Amino acid sequence: MKRYLSLAKNHFKLSRNINWMLMSVALVFLAIMSDAGLLTRSFTGLLSRIAYSIILAVSLQLVVGFLGELSLGHAGFMCVGAYIGCFTANYLHTVIDSKLLVLVIAMLVGAAVAMVFGFIIGLPALRLKGDYLAIVTLAFGEIVRNIFKNLEIFGGAMGLKTKIYKPSELFIIAFIVAIFTIIFIQNLIRSKHGRAITAIRDNEIAAKAMGINVTYYKLLVFIIAAAFAGVAGVIYGHFTTPLLYTFFSYNYSIEILVMVVLGGMGSIHGSILAAIAITVINFLLQNNLSGDLAALRLLVYALILIVVIIFNNAPALKGVRARFNIRSFIRRFSQRKVIRPSLRYDDSAEWNQIETKIRMDEILTADLPHNEIYTPDPREKED
Amino acid sequence: MSIIMDGLSLGAIYALIALGYTMVYGIAKMLNFAHGDIIMVGAYAILTILTVTGNPLLGILVSIVVCTVSGVVIEKFAYKPLRGASPLAVLITAIGVSFFLQSIAQLLFGAKSRPISLPYLGHVTIFGAEISVNTIITLIVGAIIMAMLTLFVKYTRTGRAMQAVSEDRGAAILMGVNVNGIIMITFAIGSALAAFASLFYLMQIPSTSPTLGSMPGIKAFTAAVIGGIGSIPGAMLGGMLLGLVEKICLSIPAISQYTTAIEFSLLILILLVKPIGILGKKRREKV
Amino acid sequence: MKKILAIALALSMLICFTACGSKNGADSDKTIFIGATGPLTGDASSYGISVKNGAQLAIDEINAAGGFNGIKLKFDMKDDKATAEDAATGYDALMDAGMQVSLGSVTSGSCQAFGTKAAADNLFFITPSASAANVIETGNTAFRICFGDPDQGVLAAQELTKNFKNIGAIYDSSDPYSSGVYDAFKGEMKKLGVKYIEQSFDAENKKDFATQVEALKNCDVIFLPIYYTEAGLIAKACVAKGCDALIFGCDGLDGIADQVDETVTNTIKYITPFDVNSKDEKTANFVKNYKAKYGVDPDQFAADGYDAIYTLLEVMKAAGVDDATIGYSELSDLLVPIITSDTFSYKGVTGEMTWDASGACTKVPIIVELGK
Repeated sequence: MKRYLSLAKNHFKLSRNINWMLMSVALVFLAIMSDAGLLTRSFTGLLSRIAYSIILAVSLQLVVGFLGELSLGHAGFMCVGAYIGCFTANYLHTVIDSKLLVLVIAMLVGAAVAMVFGFIIGLPALRLKGDYLAIVTLAFGEIVRNIFKNLEIFGGAMGLKTKIYKPSELFIIAFIVAIFTIIFIQNLIRSKHGRAITAIRDNEIAAKAMGINVTYYKLLVFIIAAAFAGVAGVIYGHFTTPLLYTFFSYNYSIEILVMVVLGGMGSIHGSILAAIAITVINFLLQNNLSGDLAALRLLVYALILIVVIIFNNAPALKGVRARFNIRSFIRRFSQRKVIRPSLRYDDSAEWNQIETKIRMDEILTADLPHNEIYTPDPREKED
Repeated sequence: MSIIMDGLSLGAIYALIALGYTMVYGIAKMLNFAHGDIIMVGAYAILTILTVTGNPLLGILVSIVVCTVSGVVIEKFAYKPLRGASPLAVLITAIGVSFFLQSIAQLLFGAKSRPISLPYLGHVTIFGAEISVNTIITLIVGAIIMAMLTLFVKYTRTGRAMQAVSEDRGAAILMGVNVNGIIMITFAIGSALAAFASLFYLMQIPSTSPTLGSMPGIKAFTAAVIGGIGSIPGAMLGGMLLGLVEKICLSIPAISQYTTAIEFSLLILILLVKPIGILGKKRREKV
Repeated sequence: MKKILAIALALSMLICFTACGSKNGADSDKTIFIGATGPLTGDASSYGISVKNGAQLAIDEINAAGGFNGIKLKFDMKDDKATAEDAATGYDALMDAGMQVSLGSVTSGSCQAFGTKAAADNLFFITPSASAANVIETGNTAFRICFGDPDQGVLAAQELTKNFKNIGAIYDSSDPYSSGVYDAFKGEMKKLGVKYIEQSFDAENKKDFATQVEALKNCDVIFLPIYYTEAGLIAKACVAKGCDALIFGCDGLDGIADQVDETVTNTIKYITPFDVNSKDEKTANFVKNYKAKYGVDPDQFAADGYDAIYTLLEVMKAAGVDDATIGYSELSDLLVPIITSDTFSYKGVTGEMTWDASGACTKVPIIVELGK
């Protein structure tokens, strides 16, 4: 037992788990506040929105940031999960009394069905890549919407009527699910499987050569991401009624993508913060901007996408990036010792050996996070 | 008959937009997602000139200029800094530009759709079907533009330089081709084609809104992918095919509601059978 | 460490604005707060703005006359862009701001979301214009001023079969309002045993109507249970296709005047409860004041908004409300028995109205012709 504890102690790094731990603390705090009636309706509503946005952003991060495939159909998976899950819930409410149990079953059903669709979309993902895959996922999202709109049993154009939960109750469940999502995806990424997934992102052919089962991992990522999107859909369905197909448009997929991009490709901490930030900005703008000024919201998204991407990827800005890297900035002020080349001096070595030594040292001692901002090489190499 | 003519004229619009996508993809190796919104820019240019001067011809000329300039400016500020970066980064920036154009249009002109009055040219009867002159003009002018474009790419110096850049950028640089210049010209031509597309679009659907370009843009992009992205004849073929499919589906009441689903399923099917599109060229990938 | 600080900072910011959010609760000064949501931007904005203007005009008139029982009224409409999510958010914000009674939402989809939440809270609302059948089915506290969609569909079927032989219809399969009217129309046509040609479109294909008009080219009349933006495009498609059928629509066509130009020669008629040229004194007064204030003629939605506020006033008067701090739930319990009673009726600018327990309103429709 003691051995396991010390093992856990050694492997448990605060900086890697800080996100869900802080969220749990915040949740307990907010739940107490809400119970005491200190939170307004708008605020608990906002909290529910934040929770499902986090689930969506983190699960899309898995596809975009870690697998390196652009999916523009995340709202489509959410749509499938929402409709099927809420349809099940509507039935279950007539049989089961416990609202919590119904919601949990509905989420599982939504996740399961979304997984099936994730598998279906994962299949073309094996043959297509990059831009082609992006357009297929976009097409998928539109197809799903179009079909659900015309199915009478899901209410057709009138939308599916769902039983809404009080935001003050819903946000607690939603937050718990969000925390679970973070822990699950974070641990997946830090496992053997996660390294395989990032290897496929970095170089698919090399990954294949290393014996990684690319088919398996690509499907796995799509299925997991879809499942969480489906769960987010079920939460959304119990937050707003009626469930209308118009919500799950391509624009919403882009909104999730904005969260991922703003948070930084391959950063789970970043996705969470960005999901919170975007949802709060959205909420504030929606309540305070009237008329056509509402377009400012779109403008903000557009600028975030363009500026963040150019800053993070433009080859000409490499030097600027190195100077203003937030990570190195943080490290400089954190207690953890980081070995930097300028600090090392070894007079017994030749000058060209110094560099080699330092590099080895750095690799062996530095704590390299998995979620380092990643700038991939241009993958499309011409013949 | 009439449905086929309608389908072809819609197909011509899709083809014109798809040409812009496909040329840029072929040469800059990037997906210009904002291309659909250039049509919207063109439509608003026509609307503005038409309300101010009432002269449709002037409107067309101005819209061509505005579209070309905005295409080049977008390339310069949004895409050029990213040359050499990952395709994913460029694609996301393009989506950002698309949102940018839409929000600017909404701030300037409002979210409400605005009707536009282009002169109506009457209709003629061909083989017993009444076909509007607008449709015929769309088809004829569309065909002329596409023929000219093909000739331009095949037989002019610039056109051959374009082919060279699309074939092998590195070798083209070595042969003294100004790649940045060629990419800029490509954007200019693609955007000018979008201006024509916006005119034909308004002739059929006389109403403008900030999101006017997004659906036709996505559909035209679908058309370009179906035809094989990067291939000019492929874009024309894909555009015509998609236009016909859309109109035929819409005319059958039983499936008309599922038109969008059918069009996009067609895309997925074609890509699964032939991942490079109908007329696409296969490229091998090296490590 | 910095990162932890950043996260902590973000959280404390969130908490800050909870505190800000809960501040603006009570509104002192003897006023009753009437809230509503409606589309103030986007394609349906014409409806939202009209309702808002109409309602505001009524509020100003009432307050200028000194209110009732010493209580004044306050009105606020949140923008919901005709979407259910934004209507739900708007509802929460209004409740936080102390809404006591409401006009619901302007459009049907939004009002369903609004109504579901209102039912859970027992909040009384009377929507000016959300006409879908299920809007007033959301709860016992939901009422409306306009016709229901099914009523319009049935009326249209009877009217058209009486006067025309070749009938065609185009509806929006993706829109609750349009499908609602159309389903009733379809049912009634089946009952009457009349054949007609059906065409539809949806949200993704609502720009190009060449195909639909082509199929209906030989009809005498085209029934359009849709909104004015698309109806305007269909009218223009008719010109392009050389189709001179009469265009017949429901209250959604109100506003089409701005969408068609002189090239459109088709006669356009629609069902509406409100005639701007009416000789009725009350209506004439309303039209005059509205024009003076906003510079345009009021449409049916402005009239609905105006009537909704006055109806609310009459119900509150009849219920003897004299406490401006009354809670929404108590107020609702007072108002519902009054409005559903047989003796309560109100004659507004959209005609004489009575309500039953379902929340539906009974009044006489009129058919107006555009430009006449």
